[in-house]
Amino acid sequence: MSASKEEKFDKMLFQALQKHSEPVPADFTDRMLRQIREAENRRILAHVVVEERLALASCIVLGVMAIVAVAAFPDIAVSFKELVGTSIDKITQTIGGHSAELSRSPIRYEWQLYAVFAGVVGFAVCSLTDLLVNDS
Amino acid sequence: MADEARKKRDESWLGRLLDGDHEAFAEFVDKYKETVFLCCRTLGLREDEIEDAASETFMAAYKGIRRYRGQAELGTWLWRIAYRKGVDYLRRNRRENQLLAEQDEQLADSRDIQALAELESKEQAELVWEAVERLPRLWAMATVLFYREGREVKEIAKIMRVRQNTVKTYLFRSRKRLKELLAGIVGEDIDVSE
Repeated sequence: MSASKEEKFDKMLFQALQKHSEPVPADFTDRMLRQIREAENRRILAHVVVEERLALASCIVLGVMAIVAVAAFPDIAVSFKELVGTSIDKITQTIGGHSAELSRSPIRYEWQLYAVFAGVVGFAVCSLTDLLVNDS
Repeated sequence: MADEARKKRDESWLGRLLDGDHEAFAEFVDKYKETVFLCCRTLGLREDEIEDAASETFMAAYKGIRRYRGQAELGTWLWRIAYRKGVDYLRRNRRENQLLAEQDEQLADSRDIQALAELESKEQAELVWEAVERLPRLWAMATVLFYREGREVKEIAKIMRVRQNTVKTYLFRSRKRLKELLAGIVGEDIDVSE
């Protein structure tokens, strides 16, 4: 082919391919938007779940750390308990006067403290198990 | 004045797009969906795969748009994603070997196309497109990008992740093959009228 024919051929290719129109489903944009919204919702949900898991995990870790601390450092635990007891005394005396004497006394029994603590840890473990099992 | 207004509008649209605005993204999909479908079809994806690959492309674009810094034109950036997704699709279905192979089932010489033209009196544009579809996929891709999209060799090389010389080779071979395939149609009387 001569140079002019080459040019003509190029021009023909250019024009012919420009004319080609690609068939696209009419509702493709809508479907795409729907997919994106769903993906966004899934992303937000996943974010919330991760936050919840982190919160629960930190509750459990703190609880376990507290138990370990009580077992490992009994002296510190005792002095901490006394400190808490003294603080409660002071608070209840300030707020309730004589009736405070009644309300604070049961909490100072050790077994009750452990019962409350075990209840909280048990609840946290149950919630975490429930979350992990349902989400996975 | 009109150009400046359009530029400002485009900038604000791009800004909204980068902020993850859904309406702006719908405009983006509308603007480029044909391009993405064309890319997937040119790569030889099947009819049922094209839409999936196009959806994956736009999802990837949506996720990656916040990282778009404007180094490449938005269209080029999307072409790169679409091309990569299309090739991934072929790879996943173990059909990447078709990228450089002649299309066996479609392999035809110019006589077939002449016969088609005579039988169906197709328009020249359609016949050219059919001839392009008979090329090896990578040659076809380079041809579409060069002749239809008006991209430069440098841009095509970036989109296809190959050297510029490779693109030139694809274009040279594709042109030669198209001449053979279309010889009977264009022949001596190449129609270049609008």
